[in-house]
Amino acid sequence: MATSARAYTRWDTILLGACVAVAGMVRALPESAREVAASGMRRTVVAPLVGLQRDAELSRRAWLARDATVLAHDSLALRAMVVPALQRENEQLRRLIGLGQRMQWGFVPAEILHGQALADDYTVTLSAGQRAGVKPFSPVVAPDGLIGMVKTVDPTMSTAILWSHPDFRVSAMTADSGVFGIVAAHLGNVPARNLLELRGVPVRSTLKPGTVIWSSGLGGVHPRGIPIGTVIGEEKKLAEGWARTYLVRPAAHPAELDAVMILQSQVRAGGMSSVWASVLDADSAVRRIVAAGDSLKGLAAADSARAAAARRATAPIDSSSRVGVRRDSLQRTPARRDSALRQLQ
Amino acid sequence: MRSWAGLRTALAFVILVVLHYTLRPMLGWRAEPDFLVIALLLVAIRVRPGAAALLGFFTGMVADSLAVHAFGASAMAMSAIAFSASWLKAVFFADNMALNAFFFFVGKWVYNAVYLLAERRFGGGELLMQILVWSSLSAAVTAFAGLATLLVLRPMLRTSMS
Repeated sequence: MATSARAYTRWDTILLGACVAVAGMVRALPESAREVAASGMRRTVVAPLVGLQRDAELSRRAWLARDATVLAHDSLALRAMVVPALQRENEQLRRLIGLGQRMQWGFVPAEILHGQALADDYTVTLSAGQRAGVKPFSPVVAPDGLIGMVKTVDPTMSTAILWSHPDFRVSAMTADSGVFGIVAAHLGNVPARNLLELRGVPVRSTLKPGTVIWSSGLGGVHPRGIPIGTVIGEEKKLAEGWARTYLVRPAAHPAELDAVMILQSQVRAGGMSSVWASVLDADSAVRRIVAAGDSLKGLAAADSARAAAARRATAPIDSSSRVGVRRDSLQRTPARRDSALRQLQ
Repeated sequence: MRSWAGLRTALAFVILVVLHYTLRPMLGWRAEPDFLVIALLLVAIRVRPGAAALLGFFTGMVADSLAVHAFGASAMAMSAIAFSASWLKAVFFADNMALNAFFFFVGKWVYNAVYLLAERRFGGGELLMQILVWSSLSAAVTAFAGLATLLVLRPMLRTSMS
């Protein structure tokens, strides 16, 4: 660029003086007036630049927060992995507390100390011992039913044999006291070893699959009325011509438990029929309510589907005919309520 | 031809202004490059001192609109450095890169000094620290960014200078 094009003249100095003077006056304005002027500029000529700056700052913050977000995501994922186990444990403890409230007295709560030994299939170590009032032959129960029996007792811990132990025996009966027998472990390979056997059932007595087997209280070790399991079928044994043997699915599985109750001798004399009977009643009531809810949802979905189909079918017809379809669906409402009541009953 | 060169200079100015409001916030450095000063100086050395002062005033007002507490300070500082740049360019004809870098350094440093004095936010030792340390650092970063800009925009700006 030529020097003459940018020659310094008096007008340049005047222009500079004017700019500096105006800037000085702007600087001297009161705060409120400056804010008004600045705000006006931000909303008009500078608005695109303000938007660019805001987006850039947001991008930078997002970039900086990325590491923290990844860390938080990882932490959440880690916690989410633990949540199901905690929920399961929480549920177990709730049910155990409920069992304790129903029994009210005569029990010692204990934790199952799960080890990795081979014998863990048959025995467990419990965190309560002699000092807590635990004695040998005390029954060990869970909210779902019988787990086993205390074998040895130390001052602070004890060992119990589980229902899967070959030496485990409990006198059992059906709910109506019509059939008695002895429940023992079903010995065999791994899948079958998770079952029990109800032995010594008279040939004249037959049990249907689904029959619940309870402790009978005979023998004085296990109190009457603890759920042991459910009959799933008859085990054919040619050698036992005078008696039947039934396979029983255990009510409680020790591997899934972390806490149990050890019953004390005072309770054994009284029997525990009322404790688990109320649990069964409550469980069955809950199941019925859930089933009724599902049924209602299913009926509502079916109604919606029918209404949609009716709307599609009557689409060309005028609106008055569609009103009729809606009225019909309303008339079906009492029927739904009746079915729900039937489910609850 | 002359208007075409002016258009390209204006385009370079717009690019640098946009960079100021996009790249600079993303960098987030304590001593940031000032693309507004670079843009202003690049244009100022190509126009008359009075026009440069006017451009500096309006550019400063844009910068001030986002910093209400110092409203007017940038306008004053940019008017001064734009006028000075245009006048000095007429005197020295500095066309080599090193001199341009020094030009950007001085421009940014003077801008910061005038701005801080007009803003009246700091005083005493803190003001000295701002002017001597942080303004110098910022001026150095601006000079580096200005050089990079010159290298990138050289084809565009060389034509407009002739």
